[in-house]
Amino acid sequence: MKRRLWFSLIATVVAVIAALAGNIATNNEPILGLDLQGGLSVILAPEEGATGDDLLVVRDLVRSSLERSGVAEPDVRVQGSNIVVDLPGVKDKEEALRSVSVSGIVELRAVVNFTECSASIPAVSTDETIADGRVLGSDGTITVDGDPADEVTPPVDEESIGFLNDEAKTSFRRSAPDPDADPDAPADTEAPADSDPVVEAPIDLAPTPTPTIAGAEFLPTLDGSALCAGPTQASGEVFERDSASVQLGQFGQFSVSVDLRGDGEAAWNALATQCFNRLPSCPSTGIDADGSARPGQIAIVLDGIVQSAPVVNVPVFDGSVSITGSFTQDEADQLSDVLNRGAFPVQVTPQETRTVSASAGGDSLRAAIIAGLIGLALVLTFLVAYYRWLALVIIGGLTVWAMAVYSAAAFVSGATNYALSLAGVTGIIVAIGVTVDSYVVFFERMKDEIRNGRTLRNAAPRSFNSTWRTIWSADLVSIIGALILFSLSVGSVRGFALYLGITTMCDLFVCFFFTRPAVLLIARSKFMVGKRAFGLEVATS
Amino acid sequence: MSRGDQIASTALGRLFRGQTAIDFYGRRRVGLVIAIIVLLATVGSMSTRGLDLGLDFEGGDAWDIPASQTFGVDEAKVVLEDNGVSTNGARIQRRSSDTNDLITVEIEEVTQANAEQITTAFANAAGVGTDEVNFSFTSSTWGGEITDKAVRALIIFLIVVSIFISIRFEWRMALAALAAMTHDVIVVVGAYSLFGFEVTPGTVIAFLTILGYSLYDTIVVFDRVRENEGKYAGVRMPYEDIVNISMNQVLMRSINTSISSIIPVISLLLIGSGLLGAVTLREFGLALLIGMISGIYSSIFVATPLLAGFKSNVGRKARRERLTGDNLRAAVIGSGVTGRVGATVGSADGGSTAKGASHDDDVKTAAVLEPAGRLLTHPPRPRKKKRR
Repeated sequence: MKRRLWFSLIATVVAVIAALAGNIATNNEPILGLDLQGGLSVILAPEEGATGDDLLVVRDLVRSSLERSGVAEPDVRVQGSNIVVDLPGVKDKEEALRSVSVSGIVELRAVVNFTECSASIPAVSTDETIADGRVLGSDGTITVDGDPADEVTPPVDEESIGFLNDEAKTSFRRSAPDPDADPDAPADTEAPADSDPVVEAPIDLAPTPTPTIAGAEFLPTLDGSALCAGPTQASGEVFERDSASVQLGQFGQFSVSVDLRGDGEAAWNALATQCFNRLPSCPSTGIDADGSARPGQIAIVLDGIVQSAPVVNVPVFDGSVSITGSFTQDEADQLSDVLNRGAFPVQVTPQETRTVSASAGGDSLRAAIIAGLIGLALVLTFLVAYYRWLALVIIGGLTVWAMAVYSAAAFVSGATNYALSLAGVTGIIVAIGVTVDSYVVFFERMKDEIRNGRTLRNAAPRSFNSTWRTIWSADLVSIIGALILFSLSVGSVRGFALYLGITTMCDLFVCFFFTRPAVLLIARSKFMVGKRAFGLEVATS
Repeated sequence: MSRGDQIASTALGRLFRGQTAIDFYGRRRVGLVIAIIVLLATVGSMSTRGLDLGLDFEGGDAWDIPASQTFGVDEAKVVLEDNGVSTNGARIQRRSSDTNDLITVEIEEVTQANAEQITTAFANAAGVGTDEVNFSFTSSTWGGEITDKAVRALIIFLIVVSIFISIRFEWRMALAALAAMTHDVIVVVGAYSLFGFEVTPGTVIAFLTILGYSLYDTIVVFDRVRENEGKYAGVRMPYEDIVNISMNQVLMRSINTSISSIIPVISLLLIGSGLLGAVTLREFGLALLIGMISGIYSSIFVATPLLAGFKSNVGRKARRERLTGDNLRAAVIGSGVTGRVGATVGSADGGSTAKGASHDDDVKTAAVLEPAGRLLTHPPRPRKKKRR
């Protein structure tokens, strides 16, 4: 027992000092927020004709994209006709520019036959493109070589390749169970068995080389091939912002679901109905499992690159859309990010980077730290006056706690990008009070026990047991709060949650692994005998 | 063996030795009346004055002024003050790139005439023409989205915490803890509205800190209530008594913790923002100070009386009047540790008369020790003789 206590005590101190030394050695220190240290500022200029409301929407989009890409607590505002983005903790201009290049318009276009595109571009390049597509196709194990119909039939887009390979089969399904959708769903999931025979069947739905659709053009896909997309029929604004999420299905396949906005549903469904009914504006691009013409595809295009081109399996969507297929998790995450981004109502381009000074004035941090240290010294004086020799444990415990909090903050800053703002610093100062409380609860309980006739040696473990129950109940509430606020909120509230979590965890950690062994060992030793503690003289045991 | 068995003669001494017998429950109406007055004051102030939302919430006016050797952040502050604009809610930053070097000043919206006047003043101070000073409007940085998400997260947190407290303790305690927390938030919001302090993102963080602190403090107190509830389960102790006993037992802890929590905040306020002149610390300091005092007050005078009120109507019927005075004192001391009551009367008397008779109140001691035994349904087991 005694050896275990010594081990716990020494291991904790060594571990915390090692963590601190490690952080200092690697120059890892907490990133300071805009108010304390300043940072880099990027000015984004919108294209002509942007209204004030557009800019406010872009402001929110830029901020949420930044947070998703890991830049925490940026300060984004519309100033005049520009958008000013202040980034904490970013030192490198290139990095700043890269992190704000989040603009981009998501377009929804129908996938059309290759012949539609041949008119829009010179004949020579059309041939090249198709040739490219075929080369890629044959590399990608499409076994349609030699079939005279393959020039137009196998659309060399990623989804069709996927269909043939059973690798990225993608389809739309209604999220809610629906009689229309149900027959489609099983057919989709069993596609691999059916796909092979179908490949050879040359369904040439649009053999006429006469282009009928204006605005059709070739667009590259993510895997380097291309497909022919019709004109833009809707933008990413049909999707509810931040509603896309990746789900793991029961067979381990990932899917992405996204909600439709109330005012976007009509536009989306107009496009979906065309594709489902295989209208000329969104013709069938392949063969379904049962040999019939597959419904058309909708290409989700970001900045001219096709992100995904799923097949539409129901004509009308009610509120939400689910994209299924055998994505890898990364692909699903990427698609979900694109959908979450919704659409920027206007394009913005980064103009200029500037360094920006601390907004709270450079001396605020110093003042907060000095005031905090003086406050801490006063608290310790009070505790020494009150608890006498036992206050040694508090001083040791608070030192270990402070080192642990610093190390954790430095580590988190290095790993993520969470900046310590002035609010965070004051939060830590408040946390001193909560941390001291765990000692006060413990010692007051011991005082009661000793006053009622127990020896120190006897009182210490009993008191710790009841104290520990109190402390973890109370701290668990803080930890629950930290977790929920961190996962659900954004901006500085999130930063607050992070530091609340860190300080509370460190409190629990120090209480169990440092305070407990320290007090129990002192209670067992002869150190306290005859000394005063709690205003009581500790009797011989 | 220790003087703890003797009741101290002064109130402070009794507090120090954990021998207080304050009838918290009997004074519950005082606490609730104060809470209601505060609530009404807040509602009144909020409906007439509202909250003064800062630059980050409402946007404002912004100037870009070319910086030079003679014109920097401090000079810009002076210009603002000369024009009667408080620099407290202002954001003044130096923004520099390879091609230009600007001082950006953002303040809450002012009238157009004022804005023009300030533009001229900046131009004069920086020694440039007014056309080189760029004036524009600036939007809020704290979009509605942040508020929406924070509120949603907060509601979910409160639901989860209620469930947690209901499981760990009981649902009435969850209700009382939430009521105390609401009280604290109302107090702070009321203070902000009444005194016209500016609300900044930092204030919101301070609100959240207070909320967490309030819940923490209440749970520590409730944990003792819960413990005593189990301890007195056999003797059909009225709930009011349990609450009173628990409150007296945790009183010293509450005082110590409050002192330890409030000293750093006062230091922040006095030394940080006063002596060292970091005005931004003032807003945090004030919000935190008011909130923490309210948090400590509410766990004693709002949460626990409410809990006793919720509980007194259910379950056990009170068998007798609740304990007061020395009877309560006896219970407070006696229940600190199980199986101790009245064990070492003789030896304690012998030790204390010689040592510190002046500190001990013999009449109270006798009063407390005498009836203490009747709280227990069976006499305590005599202590075994120690081996030498």
